[in-house]
Amino acid sequence: MSTLLEKHIVELLQERNEKAISLLYENYGDTLFGVANKVVRNEELAQDVLQESFVKIWKKSDSYDPSKAKLFTWLFRITRNTAIDKLRSANTKTDKEIQIDVSDVYTLGVDSIRPELMDVRENLDKIENKYQVVLEALFFQGMTQQEASDELDIPLGTIKSRLKIGLRELKKIYDPTTPVLCLLIALNLIQ
Amino acid sequence: MNKDKIKIFLDSDLLEKYLIGSTTDQENLQVERYIALYPEVRETYEVLQENLEAFAKMHAIKAPEGLKERILAKIRSEHIGKRRFARYAIAASVAMILFAGASYFFWSENQSLQQENQIVNNKIENLEADMREQLADVRNQFIVLQNPQTKRFNIKGNKKAKELKAVAYVNPVKKLSYINVSKLPNLPENQCFQMWAEVDGKMLNLGVIQEAANKDKLVALPYADEAVGYITIEPKGGNESPTVENIVANITY
Repeated sequence: MSTLLEKHIVELLQERNEKAISLLYENYGDTLFGVANKVVRNEELAQDVLQESFVKIWKKSDSYDPSKAKLFTWLFRITRNTAIDKLRSANTKTDKEIQIDVSDVYTLGVDSIRPELMDVRENLDKIENKYQVVLEALFFQGMTQQEASDELDIPLGTIKSRLKIGLRELKKIYDPTTPVLCLLIALNLIQ
Repeated sequence: MNKDKIKIFLDSDLLEKYLIGSTTDQENLQVERYIALYPEVRETYEVLQENLEAFAKMHAIKAPEGLKERILAKIRSEHIGKRRFARYAIAASVAMILFAGASYFFWSENQSLQQENQIVNNKIENLEADMREQLADVRNQFIVLQNPQTKRFNIKGNKKAKELKAVAYVNPVKKLSYINVSKLPNLPENQCFQMWAEVDGKMLNLGVIQEAANKDKLVALPYADEAVGYITIEPKGGNESPTVENIVANITY
């Protein structure tokens, strides 16, 4: 996702041009669907969540402030909060416990895998499970490190170090040029 | 000092909660202040945002076919619905204003017509009453003047008003009496003649005599057996009770 495209989408949103929604869906739809699914753990509910989220995104488009958050951060917040609301109302409706079960974070969904998404899934596998768990607790479940420590029964210090390593691993994956560049520079220096 | 503050803030997980949108409005303000004030916090926030996007992308799932179309249709319908609603709302408001304006116009028109009607009715009633009164008066005058039992008294003023001439008509059968003042002496500007009648021991004010107006007019006198009429000179505009020393004529009837 280039910053230029981001800018373009934001402009369209502020002009209240419906094209913005189309572009947002093409660029973030699958990711936000994944986020929704991660929270509600039900594809059907996740579809509702995504639809409601996009309606909210459209309605709130003039409240988006690029100086306060990246476009994706804003989209993520809306989607995650919509998903949490959905989960709560679904819980009260059915009495069925569809809670964010911490044990679920270990079973990473492998359904509906698209070939073009395979590389990111493979990437995800590159991060060791123990780091993923901490990252998920932080990013999707909104736990504080203390809460994660209590919930996962891992000492706070370990949570902190796992988070640090997890984030570093993550950076390696989505920004692979950095180590390569470093390597090239290092090689150059050696020569 | 600041370093400690920043460290405590970064350790509090508040920034992470803010990142994913699970902070309260008050917490938002605090976090936004830290981001604005401290580059270190800002940088951490930037990195967290990048991490979040990268981590979320790893969890992307292909959204079902047709969901995009459903979402776009939903947004379009809300958009159009809103626009249509706004249009209806404007039209309804305009209609309301017109209706209210017209209602007020007709109401006030009706109100003023009612008032006018009331005034006209009152006038008619007054005229009717006046007419009836005058007709009765004229009839009584006719009866008094034509009746053979009517006694006629010629009244002359005393030395204070020698020129005064008046005629009184009294009919004891019909119990009616009238007086016609035909001539009055001239009085200074600040004085006038006033007529009185003493009936059953009570002094009644019959009003100021205006010579020109009263010349050919019969003025009714309240009737009583052994009533006495007086004409006095009083200050201009009349008096509330007769000034006895200024009596210029008396009429016993």
